[in-house]
Amino acid sequence: MLSSPEVASFLARFPRFEDTLLSLQYAPRLPRGMVEETRQVIAMARKFNDEVTRPQALKLDRKTHEDPDYLPHEIVEEANRRGFYSMWVPKLFGGKGVNMPSMSYFVEEVGSVCLGIMNVLGVHYLGVAGLMSSQNTPLIKRVLREVVDGEKTGKPCLIALAITEPGAGTDVEEVDLVDKGKVTCHAKRVKGGYIFNGNKIFISMGHVSDWTVLYGVTDLKRPSQTNVGVMVKQGMKGFSLGKHENKMGQRVCPASELIFEDCFVPDELVLYDPESMQKYSNKPVRVLLQRYIDYIVSVTRPGVCAMGVGAARGAFEHALKFAAETELNGKPMINHEWVQCWLAEMYKNVCLGRLAYIEANYANSHRGIYNLLQVKPLYYYQKYLPGAYFDKVVAPMLDKESSKALMNRVYFDWHGLDDDRCASGWASLAKFSGTDIGVKNCQMALELMGQAGLRQDRGVEKILRDAKLVQIYEGTNQLNRLNLFKCLIAPSIPNARVFEEE
Amino acid sequence: MLTATHTDLKPFEDLAASFAAKELAKKTEEHDTYPFGPFFTKVLDKAYEVGFLGVLLPEDLGGINGGISALCVILDNICRADSSLGGIIFTNALAQQIMTEAKADTALKKIFPKASNAREFLVACPSFCNPAQMVKLPTAERSGKGGYVLKGNLEYLVLGNIAANALIPARVEGKPGLSFFLMDLGGKSVKKGEPIFSLGLHACPAVDVTFEDAGARLVGEEGSGYALFQEVSGKLHVAAAAMSAGILKGSFSAALAYSRERFQGGCQIINWSEVSMLLANMAVKADVADLCVAQACQALESGARDRGRLAVSAAVHVHELCCEAVNDGVQVLGGNGYMKDYGQEKRYRDARQVQALLGISPMKKISIIRQIAGLEDICAAAF
Repeated sequence: MLSSPEVASFLARFPRFEDTLLSLQYAPRLPRGMVEETRQVIAMARKFNDEVTRPQALKLDRKTHEDPDYLPHEIVEEANRRGFYSMWVPKLFGGKGVNMPSMSYFVEEVGSVCLGIMNVLGVHYLGVAGLMSSQNTPLIKRVLREVVDGEKTGKPCLIALAITEPGAGTDVEEVDLVDKGKVTCHAKRVKGGYIFNGNKIFISMGHVSDWTVLYGVTDLKRPSQTNVGVMVKQGMKGFSLGKHENKMGQRVCPASELIFEDCFVPDELVLYDPESMQKYSNKPVRVLLQRYIDYIVSVTRPGVCAMGVGAARGAFEHALKFAAETELNGKPMINHEWVQCWLAEMYKNVCLGRLAYIEANYANSHRGIYNLLQVKPLYYYQKYLPGAYFDKVVAPMLDKESSKALMNRVYFDWHGLDDDRCASGWASLAKFSGTDIGVKNCQMALELMGQAGLRQDRGVEKILRDAKLVQIYEGTNQLNRLNLFKCLIAPSIPNARVFEEE
Repeated sequence: MLTATHTDLKPFEDLAASFAAKELAKKTEEHDTYPFGPFFTKVLDKAYEVGFLGVLLPEDLGGINGGISALCVILDNICRADSSLGGIIFTNALAQQIMTEAKADTALKKIFPKASNAREFLVACPSFCNPAQMVKLPTAERSGKGGYVLKGNLEYLVLGNIAANALIPARVEGKPGLSFFLMDLGGKSVKKGEPIFSLGLHACPAVDVTFEDAGARLVGEEGSGYALFQEVSGKLHVAAAAMSAGILKGSFSAALAYSRERFQGGCQIINWSEVSMLLANMAVKADVADLCVAQACQALESGARDRGRLAVSAAVHVHELCCEAVNDGVQVLGGNGYMKDYGQEKRYRDARQVQALLGISPMKKISIIRQIAGLEDICAAAF
């Protein structure tokens, strides 16, 4: 046997043991309660599919072609009734506190029937991620309490996230690119807050969400140094809704243009600004901003992977049903050897995609932003203590400066760079792997089904249309490949540089 | 590519390119709204007037006798802008060629020279399948007057709601194989469904139809349908390939133009080498698609042995190239590529729709290897 120093030395070589084999390392730390909780979540998703998604998916897709201005209020209300918008909100903020990784399985389930409806349910959590990653506990509490109250009152309160601009998509997701990009959303510091001017585009559920996480910069020439994140609410003076994009797929989930004209945002709605960021850490602002962005995309990209896996699974299930019911050249299609191999290939794609988001979730749970919630004592503490305890004992503490300071220290100052890279790299790996297989399986299903697959009323062509979008949002798959290289490969090559090509 | 070696095809290219630029390119999004928006009747009428609906027909039947290469050049250029019209031209050519191959001279003379508008010139047929493979076909019975009556359903009859006539594959009771029948779609015994909302080629509509003792005339011999389809599709596969080549080139042109206009990280995105690589892959595929179509046309026109198989091989390959390339064509434009106000998402859909022309691609591949290996045609064997 090798000595401990020898083992450590060999395992530190590229690829580092601790950046690979994540499930092997972290499965033993998994609280057992998470398994039962996840079983419940999957069953809930399947029930929702039976009662809502499956009966509505094609009807609503058709409706959006007949009426491009359609907005999915009835789906939002149904999801709100079922408590989906606070399901993955931690109990200390009033939510149900279901473990975060279970959301990926939920996404795959609902996504296997309709990615558009899944996004109506799920993109709210992109907003939640943008809100919570700021660690601004008083503001997080204020907004998430409205989400929870919305479920009680039957008036849904959703959160969107607005980052993409007409001239800047990929640029705004990478601190290394943003200073060279065409960022135009300006935040001017004034007494008591900021005044925002500019447009945001492709904002999923922008028309339907009450709150929006909004980003702007105080200096358009130095965006990475001057980024400001705020919460804005529909109805605020200077905040209006523009056009509703005419998309190829996921049409039930609107992609909105948001317009800000001299929109004043008071200090109490500022998530962070350069000054507040450096209050708790001496690290450069651009490093802290990249960490903030990484926290968001590290949790949302595995979710997008799960959407791709959902598409892959939906396509597989359609192809399987078709092959089982159809005769080809005088015998059941399912009994042709090549068909069996195609179906096996599609099934394999689904399973590999699922493994990718599972690994990425392990990275988030133990090396990323979920790590505190997944520590066994804290997990059970949150799971079994009654909501009233959190409301009465914990909630008042969240308003205190000390809470905000502690969370900022933990996540922005003390958190390790290697852990950031691991979570972000795996999230990117999952994102482009799962979404590529989503489109791949749709292509295979269509080739197998031929004419039957072309009809909207058969369902599979819609999955192909829907699936293409997941290769684009949450960073194009090209950007995600570069991020994987940056996070998991480049650290082993001293002279490797990313985003410096000109 | 074809016009580089065959200068006589240049007028067809010029005509189709100018038609595409004038009638299609600026209204692609509007035309694509069908069946939820209006059908582009005026465009179709103009296509009829310039002869696009009768490229392969002889002049005495109202066609322009252009040959398969001319058809490919026209489809390529039309499909760069909007492949819906390409689908209409293709489907009509398929029906015409089956009738011609069957020597249905009386029917040909009755329809095409006498047509006074596009609707009368169009013959609907199920062009997105190999009728011998998967479609549940109607049945035909001899009627007392020497003709036939059709009963049952036919799915996805392309042009079924805009054509005056249709060429329908059906099984004659008590006879093996399938047969083609020509019928008037205007009768009460033909029940047409609503236009089918499909993945792509929205303005090349299809409907499901039900026949209730609908009168029809046999085209060719009883049971000859599969042989007719095989003979004609052997030629028209290359026309389908030309459609895919056109879609591919349209997607590449749009992506290239966008990559010069769009900035990221301070420079045009074409200067980022990963974007260059996406574009380069598209360019290579466009060139290969052109070569495949040109060589397959040459094989067909020179009467090469195995020309039908070569056309299928070219089509299968070009369809695959196109489906891969249009995915990247959307990707280069990012979020904009997914929106209907850019043309890329339509090409992404249309590519898959065109791939399904004349049947499912895996079975096309199986037929290629069985021909090479000298094995029995499994479709024919299934009858």
